[in-house]
Amino acid sequence: MPPTRPPSLPFPALAVGLAGACGVLLGCQASNRAPSGSPTLTLGAVVALTGNASLIGQDQRVGLELAASEFGGRAPALTLRLEDGGSDEQTATSAFRRLLQQPVVALIGPSLSQQAFAVDPIADRAGVPVLGASNTAMGVPEIGPFVSRISAPVSKVAPLSIQAAKRLNPKLERVAVFFAQDDAYSTSETKIFQKSIQGLGLKLVTVQRTSTADIDFHKPIADTLQTRPDLIVISALPNDGGNLVRQLREMGYTGLIAAGNGMNSPNIYSVCQRYCDGLLIAQAYSPEAQTAVNRRFVQLYQKRHQGTSPPQFTAQAYAALQVIHEALTRLDRQESLRQLSPNLVSKAQKLQIQPPKGQALARMPLPDLRRALNTVLLQGTYDTPLGEIRFTPEGEVIQKDFYVARVKMDAAGKTGRFALLPNPSPTLP
Amino acid sequence: MEGLLQLLFNGLSVGAVYALFALGYTLVFSVLGVINFAHGAIFTLGAYFTYFLIGGTVGANGLMAGQQLPFSLPFWLALPLAGVGAAAVALGLERIAFRPLRERGSDPLLALITSLGAGVILVNLIQLLVGAESYSIPVGTLEALPVAISIAGAKVRTVQVLLLAIAGLLLVALSIWIDGSRSGKALQAVSEDPVTAQLLGINSGRMIQIAFGISGFLAGVAGGLVGLSVSIAGPYFGIGYGLKGLGVLVLGGLGSVPGAVLGGLIIGLAEACVPADLSGYKDAVAFGFLFLMLLIRPQGLLGRPLAEKV
Repeated sequence: MPPTRPPSLPFPALAVGLAGACGVLLGCQASNRAPSGSPTLTLGAVVALTGNASLIGQDQRVGLELAASEFGGRAPALTLRLEDGGSDEQTATSAFRRLLQQPVVALIGPSLSQQAFAVDPIADRAGVPVLGASNTAMGVPEIGPFVSRISAPVSKVAPLSIQAAKRLNPKLERVAVFFAQDDAYSTSETKIFQKSIQGLGLKLVTVQRTSTADIDFHKPIADTLQTRPDLIVISALPNDGGNLVRQLREMGYTGLIAAGNGMNSPNIYSVCQRYCDGLLIAQAYSPEAQTAVNRRFVQLYQKRHQGTSPPQFTAQAYAALQVIHEALTRLDRQESLRQLSPNLVSKAQKLQIQPPKGQALARMPLPDLRRALNTVLLQGTYDTPLGEIRFTPEGEVIQKDFYVARVKMDAAGKTGRFALLPNPSPTLP
Repeated sequence: MEGLLQLLFNGLSVGAVYALFALGYTLVFSVLGVINFAHGAIFTLGAYFTYFLIGGTVGANGLMAGQQLPFSLPFWLALPLAGVGAAAVALGLERIAFRPLRERGSDPLLALITSLGAGVILVNLIQLLVGAESYSIPVGTLEALPVAISIAGAKVRTVQVLLLAIAGLLLVALSIWIDGSRSGKALQAVSEDPVTAQLLGINSGRMIQIAFGISGFLAGVAGGLVGLSVSIAGPYFGIGYGLKGLGVLVLGGLGSVPGAVLGGLIIGLAEACVPADLSGYKDAVAFGFLFLMLLIRPQGLLGRPLAEKV
């Protein structure tokens, strides 16, 4: 397994000059340059800034912008091009196509798994690496060799909140399930939830199908309350799910509610308000993790958001950009070596001089660069705010730590926090 | 019995909103013979107006990020004012998107397209100014009232009862005005034949403005009420109601005020009757029902068959 940050190789001034001259002769000039003088590569990102999933996309935008300011200026310099993918397949397709017409080295996004199944094949066919930052449905990495994700699949994360509910109320027996049937993530997640419910010996008393566009749930709630559930499990997006939680509480439901990854955002506070309190949501990120990279991320976030803790979608988007930047850095070093003769490398090592970072990547034809980036990205191990992560050859993320949070709202019901449940913090294989 | 009551309340409260929405379509259709596709945007505006009038703050996105009005009103005052604001926008829309075409004697189809364009512009304007995020009227807005009440064993959210009551009140008031007042009868005359009405001394242009004003007011109030009940799910949240409103308009009978009310309630109840296993398909069930009804009675429930003029 390659190290996260391989030691950089020194180069002689002569090699630097030769390499620079080579670059000019080969006509591989970067379109624009970072302040340091290294060429700037373009990274595309498509997140939902409008529509039902915009509450997720807003979290992601913050993460991407923070990561771009943290890593984008370091060689190899990256420029982030952010496009609104809406919350539907058509808008995401247009956004992907717009970005693919530009010299992007890779893409991050889209926000929804439903969109990923529609747009990732386009990027895959074009040979552009796509790194999903929030796609958790089953089958996303299998879309193609250029598709990978940093967001742990529902099969890993979803069961944890059911287990946590069982620990909180050992007597619970009857479980009702709601899911948005028009959304790939929700339909995928509910299968895991239902399997987990049955695996724990709990009784599934009703399954209610909703839509991500729904905001009025009186009818399914009335049907559900007649089944007297002890736990209600929801797979939905922040807006429909938040309204569902609010209406459940207002119609008198007092039992536990576990929500899926789609509602894993502080943006639900404004929708379900004080009724968000007590909501159980499994997490692939903890703001409390005491690693240097997470402390730095939390510091950057809190500087921008008045001391509040960063949510999971923000952390995942940040980590996605970080992973691509680190993979590019590694590739740059590899290419710097490959493009020079062994004689020059040897001289460089003797004189202990750094190469101009990013030059080697700028000299690569774009299709080759994208292909090489995809290979390097999947081979690396990364120390991110999500903890140490790596990938399977198919592009599935391998992450160690998962958590379950319980939403705690303030007295006014305006804001809250995701308080991690103290016991236990499950570690999955 | 308890389940039936629950179903009835759920169906009627949703149906009442559909009816309010469809009445706006109906009023404009009755005087102009065209469907105002910007009606959904006016409904959305009503919800936003209510939110800001009660002291809501613009979110992190949009040109007006972080701003709020220097005052905040109680919901009871904010709701009618939001209706008035929506009515003012509807009047502006009539002036810009409908009147110029009408004065030139253009095909009504063109007015349909301009209204669609105006609706799209309004929605995008909302997004530009206040962002695409979801807004919610605070839960404690109706502090004096309990969150939910029990009616013969059926648990109903107070906001549902309120929604049904206000919608019912507005529908009754509108019916009384149309049938019992001079201006209401003038509106009916214009809907029958604007030229003859003009010859009889009725100012058709004025009546059209009144129709737009009332239509906008109803949409604004409906938007505010829905915003109180559920969240304002971004600038596009009127679209779903707009589609349902169109269905109600056709089911009730184009241009029929009682038909719009009846159609709204029927669609609301039809949705409420959809079994749990099919709850995600309630729109398909409602529109399937509409389709069947129209096969049997193409003019709608209370509409008149179109007579060919020779």
